[in-house]
Amino acid sequence: MSASNCLRCCLLRPSVVGRAGATAATAKASAAATARLRQGMPLAAAAAASFSTTANRGANQKPKPGTKAAERNAPPSIRQGKLFTIKKKKKNDSGARVKSPLPGERKAFRKRILLSNTNALPVPGLTDLGAESMLDPSNVCKVLSLPDDVVDQLRADEAFKTTQCWSMFRKPSILIRTETVDLITRMHAAAKTNKTLRLVLTGDRVTGKSLMLLQAITQAHLNDWLVVNIPDAQELTTACTEYAPILDTEPIQYMQQNYVLKLIQAIKKSNEKLLLKLTTVFSHAGLPQNIPIKSPLMQLANSAKEAEGAWAVFQAMWQEMTAQGHGRPPMLLSLDGLTHIMRISDYRTPAFNPIHSHDLALVRLFTDHLSGATSLPNGGAVIAATNRNNAPRNPSMELALAQREAEQLGGGKDVPQPQPYLKGYDERVEAVLRNVQVIKLQGLSKLEARALMEYWAASGVLRITVDEKSVTEKWALGGSGVVGEMERASLLTMRF
Amino acid sequence: MASSRLGISTALRGVRPSSRGQWRPLDQQFQALQLFNDPKSTRCLSTDAGSFEDFLKTQQDQAIQAAPGINLADIVDFRNISYARAVPVSPSYFSRQPRFNDSYLALQKLMQSYGKLPVVSTGEVERVAWKSLVEFRQMVGERVKASDYVKCLEIIKRLHRIHPELKPPIFVEAFQAFKRDIQPFTNKPNPIRIDWVGRALGIGRRKSSVARAYVIEGNGEVLINGKTLADAFGRVHDRESAVWALRATDRLDKYNVWALVAGGGTTGQAEALTLAIAKGLMAHEPALKPALRRAGCVTRDMRRVERKKHGRVKARKMPTWVKR
Repeated sequence: MSASNCLRCCLLRPSVVGRAGATAATAKASAAATARLRQGMPLAAAAAASFSTTANRGANQKPKPGTKAAERNAPPSIRQGKLFTIKKKKKNDSGARVKSPLPGERKAFRKRILLSNTNALPVPGLTDLGAESMLDPSNVCKVLSLPDDVVDQLRADEAFKTTQCWSMFRKPSILIRTETVDLITRMHAAAKTNKTLRLVLTGDRVTGKSLMLLQAITQAHLNDWLVVNIPDAQELTTACTEYAPILDTEPIQYMQQNYVLKLIQAIKKSNEKLLLKLTTVFSHAGLPQNIPIKSPLMQLANSAKEAEGAWAVFQAMWQEMTAQGHGRPPMLLSLDGLTHIMRISDYRTPAFNPIHSHDLALVRLFTDHLSGATSLPNGGAVIAATNRNNAPRNPSMELALAQREAEQLGGGKDVPQPQPYLKGYDERVEAVLRNVQVIKLQGLSKLEARALMEYWAASGVLRITVDEKSVTEKWALGGSGVVGEMERASLLTMRF
Repeated sequence: MASSRLGISTALRGVRPSSRGQWRPLDQQFQALQLFNDPKSTRCLSTDAGSFEDFLKTQQDQAIQAAPGINLADIVDFRNISYARAVPVSPSYFSRQPRFNDSYLALQKLMQSYGKLPVVSTGEVERVAWKSLVEFRQMVGERVKASDYVKCLEIIKRLHRIHPELKPPIFVEAFQAFKRDIQPFTNKPNPIRIDWVGRALGIGRRKSSVARAYVIEGNGEVLINGKTLADAFGRVHDRESAVWALRATDRLDKYNVWALVAGGGTTGQAEALTLAIAKGLMAHEPALKPALRRAGCVTRDMRRVERKKHGRVKARKMPTWVKR
């Protein structure tokens, strides 16, 4: 067997034959084999020579004329005409093989976020956002760019989404809307008085809810707040991450350690400066690592290296970050995709009963703060944005938000009431949203639309004259200034 | 001269007998042969049996009977004349197409008389649908030659171009025989009016969609079935189609649109809206019509789904060929 093995290897690579390293026996065998090859003698015949020669001789002989075999091998006669034959597909072994992407590579490509485009023109006179920029009403209808260090922090928070058109412009910049100033002013006022702003951003598709959340996060970073951002609530409730019950909880709650580990790493990265500065004030038991008092919070965050124990570390971190009276900065707790945590999750109990999203510990932490059951002692904001694409129907949430909105407008009679015959209302959801503030985002005003279009034009992306006419046109095509639709109508079509 | 050989009885064949059962004077009878007795009276031919009412009356009065022979001796005016024959006034009486020839000659005469009058340009002439050759042949009951009819129509069209203020009233009568009975050009659509709040309602159709669009002066807001343009149409192309009338004329920032659209699919609805909005816009600014026509917003696209035929999978598609 060994001889035949060697033989095969030599035949495949004849260059090996003359090598000095080859053993004498191998050299002999291979020399013989190559000699046979040169003679045109079939290999099978040679290999099987000791066993039988009949079949091989038969194969080597030319078929006698007139036999069936001769007919098979002969070229088709002219009279026969063309015969339809299905050819076997040849395997592509010409060397140029297509390399399939590595595991995870496709997803990484899909999820990648490009924040700069060197082909886009730099916009002259574009200034960076300052700590107070978004508070100033005179900045409404202006486009300001994000400072580089904040961009890194936002990236760590995963505040940028793949569906946003950051990759078309030289530098990530944002439009200051009236709603932006409204939101930021509320955040600022809450932080000043050590209160918690509890707010939900809602609105139609692509009206800029996620971007408004990004603006809030930006403001928090610019003012040195601690930021905890849950970038996509869907990941928490669609049963795509591991979960485990937490002992000694009644009713039983579930932790999602893998997700929490990822969250801790994001917090670590985006709040790096603060975490290095702030020190622990409590001693924590049961952590994977002993963290003495007065060690930087970063050390505590770093102790979460494995999913196991991540939940304990997160709890300790939360306790430290919200410690009262130790000079802790205000905090922003934000979440995108509120609809997904306002329903029964896809997780199941061991008895195969569905788990309500609010029984997941991390979601519970958020909803407790959103409902006002717990508040942030150092002030700050809890902001959630609803999502419209890929969002499950959620009658209680929709109703609650509509009610809050109507109440804010001061309409006593116009407050919508639940439909008496509709099932599927959820009391827990209503309880969470009983007294939150709501900002409903709608289309841009024409002035805002104009500012945005001027920015597009200055970046060289929009190649038309920006005047009253073109602004109205895009504004109308975008469904009365819905910013995402305007973008679609003017940037993402090839027609202009 | 076939009729002369047949004699006077043939020439007078159509002359109706008087109610008194007596013959009318010959000159009166000859008058019936005149193509034009009087320029103002209606045409009367020898073959005419008088008016339909008279005919009916005669029928009631007496049973049909053969005309008695003419006894020239009884005719007072011609008592001393040994030989007389009825001579038609029009020389074309003896041709194959007397009615056409008479009209043709009359028109030529008119052309000679009025041909020098100033004309208006072809665009300003009142549009008239003239009879086709077949229709004219049917009307006169004569085999009119196509080339003759074309020449005749040329004269008519030339005369028709004469400035309306200078056109003599005789033309109306002269042209009457050549005009089609139903004049499609007189069917004018009702003009769209702008109502008391300034809305103009345009209706447009495409495929199986119907759109009603209220166009009102404004600042470019569009609501379709209570939804914004973006909500009503997912495709940007459809959104552009819907407001194309306003975009093509640079009026998107000058008007608001509130529209209702039903039936069909998205493309049909969007293009029905194009037409509806264009009509509403034309009510506000009629001068935009040429621009809108160039933009393709004026003409209704009449194409519908072609019906399915038996033996075919769809309207045209054949079933898959199977060997046996």
